[in-house]
Amino acid sequence: MSSAPHLVIIGNGVAGNRAAEILREKDKDCRISIISAGPLLFYNRYELPDVFKGRQDWRDYLENPPEYFSDNNITLRRKSIVADVDTERRKLVLAHREEVSFDQLLVATGGSGYLPERLQETAHLTHQFTTYRSAMGMYRDLPKGGRVVMLGGDMIGLDLARTLIETGYHVTVVPGDRTFWPHEISAEERPKYLSALETMGMEVINHGEVERIEDTTGSAAARRVVFVSGETVAADVVVTQYGLAPMVDFMSTAGVDIERGLLVNPQLKTTRDEIYAAGDVCQIWEQESNGYRFYYGWRNVRKMGEISARNMMGEEVPFETEVDEHLIIKDDGSIDSPFWEYSA
Amino acid sequence: MTINGTDLQIAFCGSAGDGTIAVGDILKQAMAMAGYRVIAFDQYPAEIRGFGKCVSRTRVTGEQVYSMKQQTDILVSLDDSHAIPHASEVRDFGAVIYDNAPMSLMAEGEHISGHLQPGQIPYALPIREISERATGSNRGRNMVALGFVAGLYGLQQDVFHTIIARKFKTKPAAVTTDNTAAFDAGFDLGAGEFLFDEISIGEPPAKAKHEARMLSGNSAVVEGCLDAGIEAYFGYPITPATTIMERLVSEMPKRGKRALQTEDEISAIAATIGAGYAGVRSATATSGPGLALMAEMLGLSVMAEVPAVIFVSQRGGPSTGMPTKTEQSDLNLAVFGGSGDAQRIVLAPTNVEGCWRCAGKAFEMAERYQTPVIVLLDLYLSNRYETVVVSPDEQFEPNMSKPMVKGKADEKYQRFATTDDGISPRAIPGQLGGIHTVTGLEHNDMGRPSDQPNIHMDMSEKRHNKLAKAIDHPGITITKRFGDEGDVDVGILAWGSTFGESLEAMMLAREEGIKCAAMKVVMMSPLPEQPITDFMDSASEVLIPELNYEGQFAGIVSGTLGRPVNRLNMVPGTPMRVDDILAEIRKLAGRDKRDAA
Repeated sequence: MSSAPHLVIIGNGVAGNRAAEILREKDKDCRISIISAGPLLFYNRYELPDVFKGRQDWRDYLENPPEYFSDNNITLRRKSIVADVDTERRKLVLAHREEVSFDQLLVATGGSGYLPERLQETAHLTHQFTTYRSAMGMYRDLPKGGRVVMLGGDMIGLDLARTLIETGYHVTVVPGDRTFWPHEISAEERPKYLSALETMGMEVINHGEVERIEDTTGSAAARRVVFVSGETVAADVVVTQYGLAPMVDFMSTAGVDIERGLLVNPQLKTTRDEIYAAGDVCQIWEQESNGYRFYYGWRNVRKMGEISARNMMGEEVPFETEVDEHLIIKDDGSIDSPFWEYSA
Repeated sequence: MTINGTDLQIAFCGSAGDGTIAVGDILKQAMAMAGYRVIAFDQYPAEIRGFGKCVSRTRVTGEQVYSMKQQTDILVSLDDSHAIPHASEVRDFGAVIYDNAPMSLMAEGEHISGHLQPGQIPYALPIREISERATGSNRGRNMVALGFVAGLYGLQQDVFHTIIARKFKTKPAAVTTDNTAAFDAGFDLGAGEFLFDEISIGEPPAKAKHEARMLSGNSAVVEGCLDAGIEAYFGYPITPATTIMERLVSEMPKRGKRALQTEDEISAIAATIGAGYAGVRSATATSGPGLALMAEMLGLSVMAEVPAVIFVSQRGGPSTGMPTKTEQSDLNLAVFGGSGDAQRIVLAPTNVEGCWRCAGKAFEMAERYQTPVIVLLDLYLSNRYETVVVSPDEQFEPNMSKPMVKGKADEKYQRFATTDDGISPRAIPGQLGGIHTVTGLEHNDMGRPSDQPNIHMDMSEKRHNKLAKAIDHPGITITKRFGDEGDVDVGILAWGSTFGESLEAMMLAREEGIKCAAMKVVMMSPLPEQPITDFMDSASEVLIPELNYEGQFAGIVSGTLGRPVNRLNMVPGTPMRVDDILAEIRKLAGRDKRDAA
């Protein structure tokens, strides 16, 4: 085994891969491993709505070709789930019972699609739109020109909704507490933004709280959304978009502070010197509000990847966002969000 | 990514005892039953169980091919310690299937997930746990993995059920039930998986006019022997030829024929020659070390002009060498081995169907030319399976002897007479008026010992010249050209199992714009000089790839014809890689890989 330090990144998204890139730039000799629960190379999730435009080969979404990882001596461990982090021994225990040592650790696991508890029993009747596989699953289940009912409607979902409408589908948004997530919209402003969605071609209905989803396969539409009020809406596909929940369970015994996400200082270091965090998984200390907060969106996450890597290499650079987080309404009445930007 | 609609290579890798070879066998049988063409090759250790690596590779195609693909499309690991070195064989965007819930803690680097190439697609599933849930035991891991592959690629579940039932029909019913349950559990999981690769199984080819059979090289030899009416077999077990004897011992008594295991190889060849002398179609089978022991008796067969058929499956040598590894290093021994000018016929089939045909034709030739005929296989060809389609109209001559014809009362029968067709009339012991003394000494046309110079020269010439007629023996292709017609940049002369890889390399070279042709040479002795010369005349460069260190066939060709050849020799113990041949073609054609790309 090489004596070069082993820098392990948990997470194969924007933050993790940007960090790997910077780490390799700064140190040609260190061992870099990316551990990913998914099966694929790093790809651009922001472009996934394009599957409805006919772009369905996952390789078209790759940010780097396979040889990039070989050329840069970055080890990829896909379909590998970290079950535990033993900080005293500096070892990760993977779910397949293999131990992996590390000298420094970057946690960049991001978030998984949040689903309200009341809908979890019927989760198998709904789609999420978080990975290539889930995107293709929805594409295959949705007949041409069919009807999508979107529960929640976070900014990831609304981006998808734009494409669905553009490509001839019908979208009904059932708004909830997390509509426009991660934007925080006041009750006063909320109607105008919902109205903007209608301007964009979406149907917005407000029948109150969803009670359940029913499987109506064989009838005109495969799903039926039943509201507590008793009203129903038929759909070919029901997609849930309630924002993301940080994936931190495996860090529970690692000896680092966790609130909803991993708590880090502005240098993105956790309460342990050898462990950093970046991306949607971490809450960063903000002096101004005297508290920890999340920063979302491609630009923020990518920058966190860069900052964390530089600090792992010995720098002391604080993270500062450059993203104006306001949701805006354009002249044509449609909304636009900085979280929809995904290139430098 | 597909050729002829379907071209998928699946490899199972495990430890001896994991059921790796068994599951590969079920796969190839099922695919053949479904109508596809198959070539399959297993590698296993010399030990019986508990040690060593087993790899079972199956290539499924729409049309029959004769080589394994350079890169595997799907690798299934049943034992990571053995599969890890093979992970790099899987092509970009190919699948690697493995257990994500092994029994015990693993040190860093011991799990295959850390060894996958970036472009490969991992499929991690709890193989052991699924097996235990489905059958109460982890012994069904191999079937779970097979079922997963079948489900993932949409293969026909019912065909696998049939093959599983057939495979375990002699076992207690629970064995079939458990294996089927494990298969189905894996199948359901695979069917629900997302297939990231664009490669897929196309429709099977239109049903052939005649039934396709799944045969190994050795089993094709056995079928050829039986179809040719073999009457006596004598053998001594030796890897990789043993299965020829095992099957003949099982089949021949059912047909009223005899098969006998002798005390050693010398006895086996002696008995074979003895049976041939008695007019009985007989054969033996061995490997290189056994052939070395038989060399002296081969000389008797030559000198006494007694038919004998010897099947030789080559393995790594010399001496005990590498019994479970393939090689082509017994060619010199087969062609030249023994004392004196011991001319004989040597046939080297290039594929499994050829094993069947050469086996049958060997009996015809041995009888017709009164000589030993060696059929030279190698471990790769003996053990690999292919789908074989043979027309029932293709049959072997039951008797090609040139019998003694009773002449006038005062006419003496001359067992070794020089005749117009070069073949002496042959009497069988007990035949009235015949001559039944036989000797290893040089002899005159009556068979009486003689060391007169003119007799030895005449008899040597007679024994030599009669074999030349074998080149025109009916019903067998002794050379065949493939690829570009006319003048080519590179011509490949290939023999034995290496021809399959040579053919594929030639086709790939043509796709790169290189004018290229390949000739398979089936008759190694006597050498078909004219077609080989014609072929060499048409090629700017001639390449002879073979799995031996010294270039034995290249030596025969260049020595016999006085022509320069380019040699590609290696002894890895495994089949020659298509890429290695292709690289040599490119070099000879003046192209490097960059140009080709």
